[in-house]
Amino acid sequence: MARESILVDTLVELADNLVDNFDVIDVLNLLCERCVEALDVDAAGVMLSSPTGELQFIASSSESMRVLELFQIQADEGPCVDCASTGQPVVSESLTAPDERWPRFTPRAIAQGFHSVHSLPMRLRGRTIGALNLFRVETGVIADEGAHMAQGLADVATITILQHRSALDATTLNAQLSHALNSRIIIEQAKGMVAQTLNCDMDHAFAQLRKFARDHNQGITLVASMVVGREITVSSLVNPATEGPAS
Amino acid sequence: MLAGRVASRTKALVATERLLEIFGLLARHTHATPARGSLCSVAAEFTKFDGANIALFPESKQLTALCSSNAASQSLLELEITLGEGPTTDACESDNVVCVTRLGGEGETRWLSYAPLAMANGATSVYAFPITIGAARLGALTLFRWESGELSEEQEADAYLMASVVARAILDLQAGAPRGSIATQLEREAHFSFTVHQAAGMVAVQGSLSVSDALVALRAHSFATNQGLSELAARVVTRRIRYEARDGVWYEVYRSSE
Repeated sequence: MARESILVDTLVELADNLVDNFDVIDVLNLLCERCVEALDVDAAGVMLSSPTGELQFIASSSESMRVLELFQIQADEGPCVDCASTGQPVVSESLTAPDERWPRFTPRAIAQGFHSVHSLPMRLRGRTIGALNLFRVETGVIADEGAHMAQGLADVATITILQHRSALDATTLNAQLSHALNSRIIIEQAKGMVAQTLNCDMDHAFAQLRKFARDHNQGITLVASMVVGREITVSSLVNPATEGPAS
Repeated sequence: MLAGRVASRTKALVATERLLEIFGLLARHTHATPARGSLCSVAAEFTKFDGANIALFPESKQLTALCSSNAASQSLLELEITLGEGPTTDACESDNVVCVTRLGGEGETRWLSYAPLAMANGATSVYAFPITIGAARLGALTLFRWESGELSEEQEADAYLMASVVARAILDLQAGAPRGSIATQLEREAHFSFTVHQAAGMVAVQGSLSVSDALVALRAHSFATNQGLSELAARVVTRRIRYEARDGVWYEVYRSSE
């Protein structure tokens, strides 16, 4: 199941309908704080892609300059940048300078006391809008479970930012589902009628309906509704030449 | 002013935490019982009820079961479909939450047919929440307790949140399906049972009835013989029972060999 989009829509509605004066930055700051509390990390922050493609710092677990700098310096290079551009997690278990990958970022991070980084993409339906970054004083990686939870938190962060799905989309999708369900019901009813008349099983009954639909270039739902409405007899379904309306 | 901001931050945090719990449960349930589908079992566990049903209410107004968290709940939804009345039906039609702390309790006069039978099936408290997104009305989430119990504010908030997640889950599963078809992902998650409709087609031919009259006949016979609608439908489809046209009687068919 697509957890991301479920999370997205639910929390956005939450934001719109359940909470007064919802402040996206507040929630993102809270999420960063939760990362630090719940996971084995020492600092967390969110950076987002601007429309022109640069990453902007949005929120973090701490107001300390030490932490803020980690994000401000990632304008052109760094785990955030790589993560946001590839849409894949970027991990460095042990930051060591000199670093070919991040020649400016890594020495600054080490100078601030951080020795490992885990950057998680904030994605929805193939679009990466930014990254959630986790920094540790110790080297090493976050355990799998923690990484899953962190991705979950990144997903939550994504949804607090993206726009509300228009009500029209939901209405349209629901109408499509409603229609699909009705079609299916009619087809099953027609199968029953064919199965009883021909004394065959449901699969064979369905094959008869499908064959007629193909031979006459009609949708199977239409054929089924004609059978159910007794506009076509089952025998003419099987032997179109013998009786029933001309095809 | 500050108190308001603190209150809304707290609300956002609480709601976020409850949502994370829902998704944790969804992940766990999907791995544990992949065949069963997770939405209903999660709904029951998250809201701390004994049973949960999710039903769809399409334009045709034919209430359709999507899933149930256990056999008892499934029977209760079938009962509603058979009788054409009940909490799920009311929630779908009125778009309001339906709350019954004690079925058959003092002053409780709703559902003259459904209530006593539901109680006989073990239900005491029932709460039905419409599943909606904006103007889109999908169906209802119905929660049961075998023993009477009020709905606390937290539980009510949890149920609303669950209904909200269910709404999006259903539409998300359906999105991308070819026009006119139920999405494969949704079929996997749900427990659609179309046996009743297959049986209606058969009975329509057996009894020279319209399919809608055949459905009525199936429901009536289910009620009269106190057997579940899908149980009866299965017997029709496997040709162990048929409907005779001349005298409107249901005949059991006995096979001499298997």
